[in-house]
Amino acid sequence: MGRVIGKRLFSIMALCAMVGLLLLPIVVAIPSLASGEEAIADGAKKEGDKVEKGRDVYYKTEGVVVGAPAPKTTDGPKDYPRYNFESRVLLWFANQQHLYYGSFVLAVPIFCMIIEFMGVVTKDKALAKRYDQLAYDFIKISLTAYSLTAVLGGILIFTFLTLYPAFFSYLSSVFRPVMHIYALMFVAESGTLYIYYYGWDKMKEGFLKWIHLSMSVILNIIGTLLMFLANSWIGFMMSPAGVDEQGRYLGNIWHVIHTALWNPLNLHRILGNMAFGGGVVAAYAAYKFLAAKTDEDRAHYDWMGYIAMALGVAFLIPLPFAGYWLMREVYAYRQQMGITLMGGLLAWLFIIQATMIGILFLSTNYYLWQAMGRMRGAEKYQRYIKYLVFLLACGYMVFITPHTMVMTPAELKAMGGQQHPVLGNYGVMSAKNGGINVIITTTVLSFVWYMRGNKVSTVSWAKFGNIFMGVFFTCAYINIIGLAIYGYYIPANVRVGLSVPQVTTTLSCLFFMFALNSMMMKGAKQMGPIEWGKISARSQYALIMLATAFTWMMGLMGYIRSSVRLFWHVNEIMRDNSPWAYTHTVGFAANMISANVLFFWISILFVFWLGSLAAKKAPVEAKAAVPGSVPQPAGSH
Amino acid sequence: MGNLISEALSIGWVALASLVGLLVYFQVSIHDPAAKKRAVFKTFIGIIATFLLFVAIANYKTNFYGESRLLPVSLVMITVTTFLMALYFTNLSALLKIGGLMFFIAAFLSGYGNWLPQVEGGFPPVEEKKTWDSMTSQQLADEGEKIIFGGVGKNQEQGAIGKGQCPLCHAFHAGMLGERAPNLLGLPNRKERLEDPKYSKGNPAKREYAVKESFPGAGTAESIQEYIAESHACPSCYVVSGYGVKGTNDKESPMPAIHKPPISLSLEELAAVDTWMYLREGVDPPSFEDIVKSYEKFIPEADRPKQQEEKAGPPSALLADGTEPVDQILAKAQCVSCHTIPGIPGAMGTIGPKLEEGTTAAQRIKDPAYKGTAKSPAEYIMESIVDPSAYVVKPFPDNTMPKIFGQKLSAGALKKIVDYLSQVKVGAPPPKIS
Repeated sequence: MGRVIGKRLFSIMALCAMVGLLLLPIVVAIPSLASGEEAIADGAKKEGDKVEKGRDVYYKTEGVVVGAPAPKTTDGPKDYPRYNFESRVLLWFANQQHLYYGSFVLAVPIFCMIIEFMGVVTKDKALAKRYDQLAYDFIKISLTAYSLTAVLGGILIFTFLTLYPAFFSYLSSVFRPVMHIYALMFVAESGTLYIYYYGWDKMKEGFLKWIHLSMSVILNIIGTLLMFLANSWIGFMMSPAGVDEQGRYLGNIWHVIHTALWNPLNLHRILGNMAFGGGVVAAYAAYKFLAAKTDEDRAHYDWMGYIAMALGVAFLIPLPFAGYWLMREVYAYRQQMGITLMGGLLAWLFIIQATMIGILFLSTNYYLWQAMGRMRGAEKYQRYIKYLVFLLACGYMVFITPHTMVMTPAELKAMGGQQHPVLGNYGVMSAKNGGINVIITTTVLSFVWYMRGNKVSTVSWAKFGNIFMGVFFTCAYINIIGLAIYGYYIPANVRVGLSVPQVTTTLSCLFFMFALNSMMMKGAKQMGPIEWGKISARSQYALIMLATAFTWMMGLMGYIRSSVRLFWHVNEIMRDNSPWAYTHTVGFAANMISANVLFFWISILFVFWLGSLAAKKAPVEAKAAVPGSVPQPAGSH
Repeated sequence: MGNLISEALSIGWVALASLVGLLVYFQVSIHDPAAKKRAVFKTFIGIIATFLLFVAIANYKTNFYGESRLLPVSLVMITVTTFLMALYFTNLSALLKIGGLMFFIAAFLSGYGNWLPQVEGGFPPVEEKKTWDSMTSQQLADEGEKIIFGGVGKNQEQGAIGKGQCPLCHAFHAGMLGERAPNLLGLPNRKERLEDPKYSKGNPAKREYAVKESFPGAGTAESIQEYIAESHACPSCYVVSGYGVKGTNDKESPMPAIHKPPISLSLEELAAVDTWMYLREGVDPPSFEDIVKSYEKFIPEADRPKQQEEKAGPPSALLADGTEPVDQILAKAQCVSCHTIPGIPGAMGTIGPKLEEGTTAAQRIKDPAYKGTAKSPAEYIMESIVDPSAYVVKPFPDNTMPKIFGQKLSAGALKKIVDYLSQVKVGAPPPKIS
């Protein structure tokens, strides 16, 4: 007993020592950063009392000028050295690839943490092993991707240094300490990740497992902080703070980091990364499922795909709300920037976004309907699916119909007014909100049907519960669609307010119906097991579509966010004077996004293939350790 | 197509030659007829697929920066290639089919992006570092003419207008109508203004205007240049009879302070404007420094806008690009100087009719005197802006409102104005500004 306690103590001490060592450089760096401003001011005083002060462009506070002004660049080899190609496109490519891989390797450890935790707390030992194996599979995928992320990060920095030296020099002069902390945290992230991965087998039992799990928490904290720091750079480029009108750093590093858009960007990116990570893992599982030779493998990867999809969609649903917050902050920061995005130069890109959102939800629904095929008892819902298709199709058509578009006076004249003679009558905001809310509500209904597919409720109030659910969904549809139609009869400024009851209705469906369904299905009679692996190949292609569409959307939204700065490297502070200071056409951007998406997927399919080579060489006993030699239901959805 | 094929061959000849070599090798080295047939067939499929792939790449390469919107066709070709390969290379079938689907999705989205109307953000204006103080008088005058009329030599053009927006209200040549503001011909010689008792030279406290002096302690002008500077900086310090805001008994000027938003000319730009005013009449202008000093007398340092090159705006010759709230658009276009518009701050003009179009537009369309083409209030408002003479509200005179707004306001700005005005109704509270 004493020996066990000693081991535990030793483990805790070892963990603390490891964490301490990893975070030591950062802890040491923070006090010097905090006192940096005073030290600078003191230094300036000593040099002859010529302290120049500047006013923060965002916070409007006064500070001692300690940085050089943002360089006024000119087109030439000094500020914009180049190959015989558009430098911006090269940078776009390097940046996007780094972001894709970065997002993936930041999201996967969060999944691992959740799934490993589920494994630790699950009482069913077989299921716990399955969860543990799944978490291990996830982290294994991300490990190769992690190296690629670092390599792509290096390529990105070299691209900046060689093609945009003046801009990068300015950015690194403002963010000098942040960049150092970033590098140190990257070391901490790598160290933790490798210990986490390679310590998996050694720390698989008892208390050590909890320590292993806590390491995943540390890993994710470091990863999230890393992302926050990287976000501060793009936040500064969009909505600079901590510098004066000339771009001179005023000594307060927190102001430079904590810009107007930093927090909404942080939230949006966390959710986006999670949804993206879910998509990539689901695609991996789909690939493995399609390539599987045995029923056992098919069962495992079918289950893996389902879990990844469910996690991805769970983070996809709140993403639009985070997007609304980001846009609200954009409008609050610079209304002009918001209008350029939503009603100006970049508005057509939002039409593409609407299309993509529709594709994402359609794919999710299709997957769920296909997934019902592996459950005995779910046949009773199949005949209603055609009605869901009808609802989704109608909602989608309304959702993608534009109302007003940006036009030149000539186009305005050709059109005969501000709106298209036919389409102009449709696509008003409340109708579009109605469209998307119908789509989300229908997705909720699909999920509810899926969750009760092979079950029959045994609670005494089952009949009442079913009727209540039916009435609730019907009223929800009537309310959403009714408000959408009502919007045509009221002025535009009043119409905007209809989105609140529409969204509230959808969220009510989401929370109340899931909760009620869970209560009704507690202790429910099973009509048969979920036959993992017995799902159509088409469902796996739906997962691939989900993942690809999400990757494309991420590229699209990233492009929109970046190009809204128009001809500024740093908005209103440092001008872009390169020959590429204009905004490309929608078509060019779409081609470029496609190229980026395809490169990412080709490269990550290569990574998957590499992973499968490693699996083939794995020793026989490792293979035998894979749980679930006979396909088992996960017990819950 | 021929060019595309030759380009594809020039890019991919090594790969294609290797495959052809492989084909020959299989012919020679495999003796089992069935295995040989299979290998040859698969290699043949591989050659076709590779060729299609390079055609697709050549299309992408050739048209990357072109106007062609057919780049997604490349992706479709790759999709076909991938599915073709998946049929014959069964060990990689899953991977190839997945790849094919991804290419198809990318092709669809790319095609969609290319199908939509193509809008390209133009280049920003060239950032010129102007060294005002070293310019000759003529160079300064040219800059001034650009600020007033939008270009050198444009002062004779009807409707020419620059950043300063002066011609919206002022006339500059003999015989030109100046109903809203005085004709500025002869301004450098109008010393009599300083002697006007209403001007109250040297004693601003005695003035009976809405504003006594530009800022406390600024005093009054001592020279004609100072008078011009004061008029720009503080239009309501002295109002020429007959040109005040209606109902104020000429105590208040409708003119905005030129150094403040929305016009915001810097002192250097104002000096250029004044130099043109002198030179065009053959009068020797004061030196650049003296003109700037005259403005410094009436504009406190905190109110002086930055020079243009430090505050470059987006590329536009427009008065408003539609990104501004509607009140700013109406101010920038100077609508507020002539019209009273409920809900818009400062819009108290009486040179044109009060704009309550939510009520009046429909009535005017029904007026037998109406000869325009509008069928709805929104169309009527749009018509009134871009073609003001289509219907002139009685008793206001025709040809007072400039006919330049169709060119000088973006579609977005026009739409905002139409949206707003169509909601303004007689007796109802004004709509919300958006």
